[in-house]
Amino acid sequence: MLAVRGIDNYYGKLHVLRALTIEVGRESVGLFGPNGAGKTTLINAIMGLARPARGEIVFEGRSLLGLAPHQIAHLGIALVPQERELFPLMAVKGNLESGAAHIPAAREKMKSTMEFVFELFPILKQRLGQPAGTLSGGEQRMLAIGRALMANPKLIILDEPSLGLQPSVVTHLFGTLKEIKQKASILLAEQNVRQSLKAIDRGYVLENGEIALEGDAASLAGNEHVKRSYLGL
Amino acid sequence: MAFPLYAGVYLQHTATIILTYLCLALSWDMLVRTGQISFGVAGFFGIGAYSAALTALNLKLDPLLSIAVGGLAAMAAALVLGLTTLQLRGMYFAITTLALTEIFRVIVRNLPGLTGGPEGTVLPSAIFDGDPTKTYWLLLAIALVTIAISEAFQRTRVYFAITSIRHDEMVARSSGLDIFKYAVFVFAVTSAIQGIVGASFAQQYAFVSPEGTFDIDFTLLPIAMCLLGGMHSTLGPIIGALVLGSVAEYLKLQLPYGHLLVYGAVITLVILLMPQGVAGKMKEQFVREQ
Repeated sequence: MLAVRGIDNYYGKLHVLRALTIEVGRESVGLFGPNGAGKTTLINAIMGLARPARGEIVFEGRSLLGLAPHQIAHLGIALVPQERELFPLMAVKGNLESGAAHIPAAREKMKSTMEFVFELFPILKQRLGQPAGTLSGGEQRMLAIGRALMANPKLIILDEPSLGLQPSVVTHLFGTLKEIKQKASILLAEQNVRQSLKAIDRGYVLENGEIALEGDAASLAGNEHVKRSYLGL
Repeated sequence: MAFPLYAGVYLQHTATIILTYLCLALSWDMLVRTGQISFGVAGFFGIGAYSAALTALNLKLDPLLSIAVGGLAAMAAALVLGLTTLQLRGMYFAITTLALTEIFRVIVRNLPGLTGGPEGTVLPSAIFDGDPTKTYWLLLAIALVTIAISEAFQRTRVYFAITSIRHDEMVARSSGLDIFKYAVFVFAVTSAIQGIVGASFAQQYAFVSPEGTFDIDFTLLPIAMCLLGGMHSTLGPIIGALVLGSVAEYLKLQLPYGHLLVYGAVITLVILLMPQGVAGKMKEQFVREQ
């Protein structure tokens, strides 16, 4: 579905991604690594927000390089950015609708997609008329994911959804990823490796802009390096 | 709205001025909703005014038709400016629009053959032969159309577009929005309104001049009105224009130039006490009571 092949990204002279290659099929894939490893840069490259100097990014047989972010969104990739990035004064309903309003294919299915979002996060239905800024941290994160789902994406990219949330909320949030996977492939960038490994099929460990490790969830969980550096065992 | 039928000429004229500023304030606010601050209102106002006056004078165009030409000219100028500068938004855009008014003032002043130069140009007659009632209806119609456009921007998916551009461009892009296209679109529409208002102003007074037409007041007063009334809504600028417009007119009679003091005081107090403006305060109160 999505193939990133040998991309190099720079910020000025800083070499952030080095010949990076990952692939996401019809599955959920984790992307792990410490701060500054290049997770967000990779996501920005996929989304068209940062331009790789070399390499190629292909989504369903189409090269994404040179496309503007909104064109990439129209092809069916949705992003839940790091931090919540909602419209705080807009009601929950408006925030959800804004996810679908400018993607023609999603606009037609707005009603049914919203029902799906309510099944995932019933609390949002109760909060429908409330300004998004008045929701709790966990609810806001659910809303951010809901808004991305409203675009009816084929691939949804989540950039550190667990950031700043209490553990019980993280467990609930990651539990819903299995249901989201019924609808769309998932690329999950996370530092919370322990929780993520329960939610994904396969993962990559990114260190200093390179893939240090890759494997399915079980083999990553059993890997010595992952245990020592990421699980604190 | 129908009060001019009973009011005297003076009140009709005052109402016409308030409606003029109401349109400018509302159109300025419509662009602010995308996060772009324009200091070029007087510029588009002046472009509209001069285009209308010159086409009416030289091409013998019907006054109403010349007002439409004024709107188109302002829109064309906004398109050229927007297509070149709206790739860089925010501060860069604001500074460009700040220069716009000055540039056009200088151009107009230095083309005496076409524009009458520093002395300006006088039209043989004001629109509707100077009938203040008809002029009032004209401005009321323009104001209603402006309000309708503003509401359309608030109620259709344009609303999601402009709101997400203002809040977070990254979210806007990754929700499938072509930011540049929308910013240029809103800029062109709001500038066209300012051009039409300027054109009606020129037709109403049958006179255009570099200093009077490209007057910085046409930029600053609408901004003050939006600050007072509250930004990011249709109601806010309307309230601001009605309040500040009436107060200013009253004070002009009581103490010459005193209205300028009041503008300053009002803006300072509003920013200190209710930064969200009157409409914002009302909305907050409403939400609290629910």
